[in-house]
Amino acid sequence: MPDLTAPTSPKNGRVGAWWGPAVGLSGLGFYAATTIPESAGREIYFNVAHPWAVYVFLAALIGLLVYGLVHHIRLWGIGRPTPGMLSEIPHRFRNAMRLGLAQEKVRRDRYAGIMHWCIFSSIVVLTFVTAQVAIEGDTPIKFLHGTYYLIFSFYGDLFGLIGLIGVGMALNRRYFQDFHRIRWDERLEDHVIIVGLGLVLLSGFLVEAARILVSELVQHPDWAPWSFVSFVIAKGLAGFAMEEASVLTLHAWTWWFHIASAFGWLALIVFTRLDHLFFAPVNAFFLRTDSPGRLAKIEDIEQQEVFGVGYVQDFTWKQLFELDACVRCGRCTEVCPANISGQPLSPMHLIQDLKSHLATVGPDIQTHVHQFGDAGREVSPVAMVGDVIKDETLWACRTCGACMQECPVMIEHVPTIVDMRRFLVMNEARIPATAQSALENLESRGHPWRGTALERTTWMEGLGEVPIFDGSQEYLYWVGCSGSLVERNLPITKAVFRLLGESGASFGVLGQEETCNGDPARRLGNEYLYQILAQQLVETFKSKNVQRVITNCPHCFNTFKNEYPQFDGNFEVLHHTEFLSGALKTGKLKATHAVSADVTYHDSCYLGRLNGQYDAPRQIIEMVPGANLLEMQRNFSKGLCCGAGGGNMWQEEIGERRVNHVRSEEAVRTGASQVISNCPFCIQMFEDGVPAVHPEEEGRMRPFDIAELLEESVFGKR
Amino acid sequence: MHIVVCAKQIPDPETPPSAFRIDAASNKVVPAQGIAPVLSQFDGIAAEAALRIKEANAGSKVTVISLGADSAASAIKQVLAMGADEGVLLNDPAFEDGDSYTTAKTLAAAIKKLGDVDAVFCGRQAADWDMGQVGLLIAEEMGWPVSIIAKGVTTGGAGLQIQRVVEDGYETVETPLPAVVTVSNEFGEPRYPKLPQIMAAAKKTVTQWKTADLGLDAGEVGAAGARLKLEKLSTPPRGGAVELMPGDSPEEQAAALVAKLRADKII
Ligand code: SF4
Ligand code: SF4
Repeated sequence: MPDLTAPTSPKNGRVGAWWGPAVGLSGLGFYAATTIPESAGREIYFNVAHPWAVYVFLAALIGLLVYGLVHHIRLWGIGRPTPGMLSEIPHRFRNAMRLGLAQEKVRRDRYAGIMHWCIFSSIVVLTFVTAQVAIEGDTPIKFLHGTYYLIFSFYGDLFGLIGLIGVGMALNRRYFQDFHRIRWDERLEDHVIIVGLGLVLLSGFLVEAARILVSELVQHPDWAPWSFVSFVIAKGLAGFAMEEASVLTLHAWTWWFHIASAFGWLALIVFTRLDHLFFAPVNAFFLRTDSPGRLAKIEDIEQQEVFGVGYVQDFTWKQLFELDACVRCGRCTEVCPANISGQPLSPMHLIQDLKSHLATVGPDIQTHVHQFGDAGREVSPVAMVGDVIKDETLWACRTCGACMQECPVMIEHVPTIVDMRRFLVMNEARIPATAQSALENLESRGHPWRGTALERTTWMEGLGEVPIFDGSQEYLYWVGCSGSLVERNLPITKAVFRLLGESGASFGVLGQEETCNGDPARRLGNEYLYQILAQQLVETFKSKNVQRVITNCPHCFNTFKNEYPQFDGNFEVLHHTEFLSGALKTGKLKATHAVSADVTYHDSCYLGRLNGQYDAPRQIIEMVPGANLLEMQRNFSKGLCCGAGGGNMWQEEIGERRVNHVRSEEAVRTGASQVISNCPFCIQMFEDGVPAVHPEEEGRMRPFDIAELLEESVFGKR
Repeated sequence: MHIVVCAKQIPDPETPPSAFRIDAASNKVVPAQGIAPVLSQFDGIAAEAALRIKEANAGSKVTVISLGADSAASAIKQVLAMGADEGVLLNDPAFEDGDSYTTAKTLAAAIKKLGDVDAVFCGRQAADWDMGQVGLLIAEEMGWPVSIIAKGVTTGGAGLQIQRVVEDGYETVETPLPAVVTVSNEFGEPRYPKLPQIMAAAKKTVTQWKTADLGLDAGEVGAAGARLKLEKLSTPPRGGAVELMPGDSPEEQAAALVAKLRADKII
């Protein structure tokens, strides 16, 4: 099951073992510390009057945190129940550890990964350090002396320094680098958080240095270097030759500043995006455990009052909860094909707009829902879908999953976007004309290709006897609407057919009996139509005793594999690349003819990112003699959508550029003569996009399906 | 205002040419396998026009009538899902194989039976035979004024204000009610039904009327009453040929092309 945490490419799958140096250093400290006398230690609350005031701060902080949490929980509570959130607990727990604590996703941006780890580990360690000081000072438990004390001092300084390095990296990115994504929605709090943390850490060092200057440096100069950072600062301070009294005053003032700023900074958790401290790991726990390619089924659709989500309280509480986890990092928007092409969609802003809508209307709805039940729906004077989130924003989404792949706090944008599309289409019937025409065609003709002059059997011409599936064969070869009704794709269908035959597989096709499996309807938001089409097809499959399916198209593949189980349709589903790479490996197919060409490979979203299949297609290319694979810059899980997903195959694009032009440019830049994909939509997008970005016909790159490439290698040039 | 929309179910005009067959013996179109009949596109537009008037005039009602076999109920449901209130299917073997005249006569009988009708909206023509007669003939039967090929219809003036498509633009006419209007594709696309309405439509029953219900005689409807006789039905031959224009330069080739087109009386 792809969990949207796949590597960008096998080579840079892991950000190196950054914790190595920390362990090494501490080992060294441990070794040296074995020689220290038991008496080593220090006076807690040295030079501080009324230290109990710290507990007032602490109580206030805890009060604030509880208040904040209760406020949030009440807001999330207006959402609908979220089924299945407490299933597969061990798996969810692992997610919380891996994605929350170990921050696997944060590390997809190496710089940010290191920076974030520095700050995160520093805060965790220093919180423990402070807690230990409090225990030593205010309870009868005494342990801060001797070897342990010195190790403790060493760690405290080490992680204080690590924290400062992290802060430095953050300041560098925010103020000195031309780094855009974190400024797309920059707010005052962002400056306060990072500068504030810097001040907390610096003041901590200063307090310690002042104390060392007047105590340890005088009494035990051999202990002082264990607090190696403060020690250096203390030495520096010594250069000013201050009176002891002034050092003590400095100490007292910085001590109070340190305490106040530290508590103040922690209080930001309640008011700023620092709340991700808690929300990110919890959201990782609630992350879906099924395939990201699957959209939720609306159960008992005929009994619903409102279809899809047009009012904020119709989201599930999980969807509302994750709005609050967003840290405005911009990673989702940075990879969003619609945004890259200047189209009116930025997943980050979408999440933020929903978040502030919830904050605005949520409290009111809360009261109304409790008083009047669903009448609370009418509460908001602005429409969430239409005013807060524009129609064209929802239509621009390709459901490519790139946003979810990158989001460091595991927000799932696609289900939220599709839920609002469902409202647009089913409840409001507000839908772009071309998409409407595709849906109407699905309803009346069982395929989305309005105006096609082809029949579902046209591709069979010239292939001799084409076996019709009757239950006796092992595989059903599912051609799909695009494979049979779009002229460009017929050679692909023929190629797969010939290769299946050559491999000796026992298979048949449905021919005239194929109907659309409903994927475009579901992605376009017409869940009702999707359910009708899906149910029909599951029945057909069952009545014909279909067990195994091979598809041409990754969208059909995803639908059968991940979504038909929702309709009690459980089949073993293979994309043709999976079957063909297997047949090559077992020698059932032999790629003997050289196809001497530089090729580049485009990962379709529905085979790659959403179903985790990056290897099978590349293995096929590797096994074709003469074919030389040149990777595009964005590949594997970072691959860019061709622009057609999410029903955009049937929509006019609005915005500065077309996604397929952007992607075609990236393909052309590799210098390859062929761009290879595995999806009929991608192929059509390249057929259209490549000539647009490369107007001269001479030497122009050509798009091919991987089956066409293999066909040439197995059978020779036609 | 009570508006009747006449809706016809036709063989899918998008049937691929290779799947479109004619049975020479019976002179009929063989229904293509796996290709369901659809609502004639112009009738969907007529329904849209009627629904917009309904929405603009509180208390209005839209009834959709279709003459056809059992399957035509789905065309009626489609218009009901768009927002029409009631549906009537004129379904009787006696109605089969009529012409524009008998169709109009039967529809008019149903409209009279409904009684309180203020206007009848039809598509400008059915997208299968493309005759464009039924709307006119209903008006004749009813003795009502008729405005054809409308690109816009609103209530106002004497009854309805209608923008009629003419060769070089459109003209605005006013008609008193009751009246018949045929609506053209220039009007705009029919709406996409909302799911709650689809559900409501699914629950509605479609009234079925036969010859006797309409007070008609079997002899005056369907094939028996038809005045038009179909001699022969055939598909036009399909094919293509390429002829390259001679000439050494694009200009010469263009001149040759013009000469050729003139000679063939194409321009
Ligand atoms: S799924 Fe793709 S297109 Fe949609 S918001 Fe996410 S990144 Fe953008
Ligand atoms: S949704 Fe996720 S990736 Fe996007 S800005 Fe928010 S936290 Fe960052």
